[in-house]
Amino acid sequence: MAINLTSKKILVVEDQAIMRETIKHILGAFGARFIVEAENGINAITAMRIDKFDIVLCDYNLLRGKNGQQVLEEARFLKLLPVSAIFIMVTCEQSQEMVLTALDNKPDDYLIKPFNRQQLLSRIERCHARKKYLASVENEIDNGNIYQAIYNCEKLLQLDGKKMRLQLLKMQAELTLKVGDFKTAEEIYQDILHERELPWARMGLGIVAFFLGYYDQAIKIFQDLIEQYPVMLEAYDWLVKAQESLGNDEHALSSLNSAVLLSPQSILRQKKLAVLADKTDNLSLAKKAYTATIKLGKNSIHRSSGDYSGLANVYLKSNAASEALKVLYELNQQFHNDPEAKIRAALLETEIHQTKGNKALAQQAYNKAFKLSEQFNRQISRELRLEMAKIFHLNGNGEICDEILNDLVKTNIDDKAFIKNLVTMCDAVIGDNYAETLIQHIKKELVDINNKGVGLFQEGNIKEALAVFEKAIIKMPDNHTILLNMIKIIIHDIKTSKPDPEKIMSAQAYINRAIQLGIPHNQISGLQTELDTIQYKSHQ
Amino acid sequence: MPNNQMLSIGFPAILASSVHDIKNSLTALRALLSQLENIYQDPKPNEFKHLEFETNRMNSSLMQLLTLYKIDLSQFSLAIDEHRAADIVEDIVAQQSTLLSLSNIELITQCDGELFCYCDSTLISNALCTLVNNSQRYCLSKVLLSVTQENDYIVFSIEDDGMGYPENLISSDYKQVPQLDLVTGNTGLGLFFAETIAQLHVQGQSRGFIVTDNGSQFGGARFKLYLP
Repeated sequence: MAINLTSKKILVVEDQAIMRETIKHILGAFGARFIVEAENGINAITAMRIDKFDIVLCDYNLLRGKNGQQVLEEARFLKLLPVSAIFIMVTCEQSQEMVLTALDNKPDDYLIKPFNRQQLLSRIERCHARKKYLASVENEIDNGNIYQAIYNCEKLLQLDGKKMRLQLLKMQAELTLKVGDFKTAEEIYQDILHERELPWARMGLGIVAFFLGYYDQAIKIFQDLIEQYPVMLEAYDWLVKAQESLGNDEHALSSLNSAVLLSPQSILRQKKLAVLADKTDNLSLAKKAYTATIKLGKNSIHRSSGDYSGLANVYLKSNAASEALKVLYELNQQFHNDPEAKIRAALLETEIHQTKGNKALAQQAYNKAFKLSEQFNRQISRELRLEMAKIFHLNGNGEICDEILNDLVKTNIDDKAFIKNLVTMCDAVIGDNYAETLIQHIKKELVDINNKGVGLFQEGNIKEALAVFEKAIIKMPDNHTILLNMIKIIIHDIKTSKPDPEKIMSAQAYINRAIQLGIPHNQISGLQTELDTIQYKSHQ
Repeated sequence: MPNNQMLSIGFPAILASSVHDIKNSLTALRALLSQLENIYQDPKPNEFKHLEFETNRMNSSLMQLLTLYKIDLSQFSLAIDEHRAADIVEDIVAQQSTLLSLSNIELITQCDGELFCYCDSTLISNALCTLVNNSQRYCLSKVLLSVTQENDYIVFSIEDDGMGYPENLISSDYKQVPQLDLVTGNTGLGLFFAETIAQLHVQGQSRGFIVTDNGSQFGGARFKLYLP
């Protein structure tokens, strides 16, 4: 046997006591000594908080509370699973696999019930071997060093062109997509398709087309895939994105609805359906999807107070204020000590009372929202802050509204989708030129800061140039130009002074941040190469 | 007309949901059996292995039924990817391990570690398991499971040293919905399933298919699954 279970920490999540016993017995017979049992999702999460497990066997159909997928999502979200850990989902039938597939959270493998001891062991062994082989890639992904991960993929492929070749190519293509190197990704997918028509490679081409802005072409690819593979949910997800990007919300809604019918348990799809149905005024569908989202959210890490206020707002739109009030009550019941939930509740209360004509109560609720927002302003999500800006404006608090919008534009200037939402809101509520002027103003401010920093740098005053950018980055952590210039100056600084491991680490951290923000490949890759060269030299 | 009423509420759907129930019961039954087995000292009664074997067969048939139902409804997609043929063989051997330890039948495997095939591995190993299982029932002493490459196809072969296939199962039209043979109790579901799954595997102009004959190198039945 290739794997020794004696030293492995194993978690068995299964609601039926007999099944737990049986699995424990099998594992015990193969030497396992450290086995923890959990009969439901909450206990499983608690166990993972206490111990770092090497192997988790989790039943999908847990009788009460969270299902297996929700356990996996939460464990990954809370980083309770080490990168090297094996998570095997135990299901009742094969077709569940695809339908269960959540957007990003796939288990390492599936095991279909019933299984005998040999089947269980061989599954664990194979997962273990695969994880071990791919460790150099997965560890770098986990650290956010995407370029290094790509390099390690290439290295493994060179070492052994056959072993797990397609899996490595798939990973490599996905990683190159992540850093925005669409050309390489396209080449990899084309090469694979040249050999064999594989659905994931075909989908990869669609994703490349999507990122390059060829939405019609992308839509065609995703639609063809769906026709051939009617339960390929990822193809639906991308189709929806492409249709939305074309501004075709009705089509996107219909595609998303089909995906939700196939995977009603997926909370993120339900949530998206609710928002999109709401946006397109399909109120009864929005109601249904919000209700489903709230129900699924009770056991999920993706639960949000926004789902409650979303549902309540749909009720308000359909003139059902008393239903909205019920949702508000539920919202207050479900969330404690959550500033975002408290603000949403107060805003909702304001609107409900306004609709009902209770001016005094509405004013009281508004004052509460105002106080809360002053207290927690920066700790809440940008979407909610945008909503608050709107309500402040409508209630005659223009100054606060300006302040929030100013801050939102500053921190999100490079996020086109969000800025678009902001402009739409301002045009509808404040006035036509408001957002445009604000954006121009902030762009100029940015250029000034940038020029000041670059000027100092050119004068050779590196220390002060860095100080200017460091100050700016605290204010605008997501700004692309500032981030890129910051990286350039640090790298220059390292080159001209003694190699300093701390500075190298700081530059790498900013590069990883740049990748996360989706800054295009051609702007980052050169910087990464420079940094790699420095590191290589300093190791010699 | 009670019959029409049944059809209008969708007999296939009812059947499918019953199949789910039965599968869940089967899983529970298996767990209970293994509990019971733990009470006994070694050597444990062979009946336990018989029971595992029988529940396994029931489970495979149910899984095949469910899959066929979904294909019929067009609610089914193959999960095609590249797999090592040796891994599929290993899955089948693992699944058959109980039965093998029970009988004196030898399951011989021949597979080059470098052979890769493109398929839905869960479905293929499920289909092959049933057929290996059948071979074990009808053979005298050994079954050979081998994987080879023939032109552009990867071929999984199952050969035994039994009496061979009866006339009606040799190179007949497997696409025909199986008819129950009341004398032998043989439904041919296993072959029908294998053929259906094989047909779903397509590469360019080529399609998967199956062949049955009595050309086994041991003088018994031979089954071949061709994957493009």
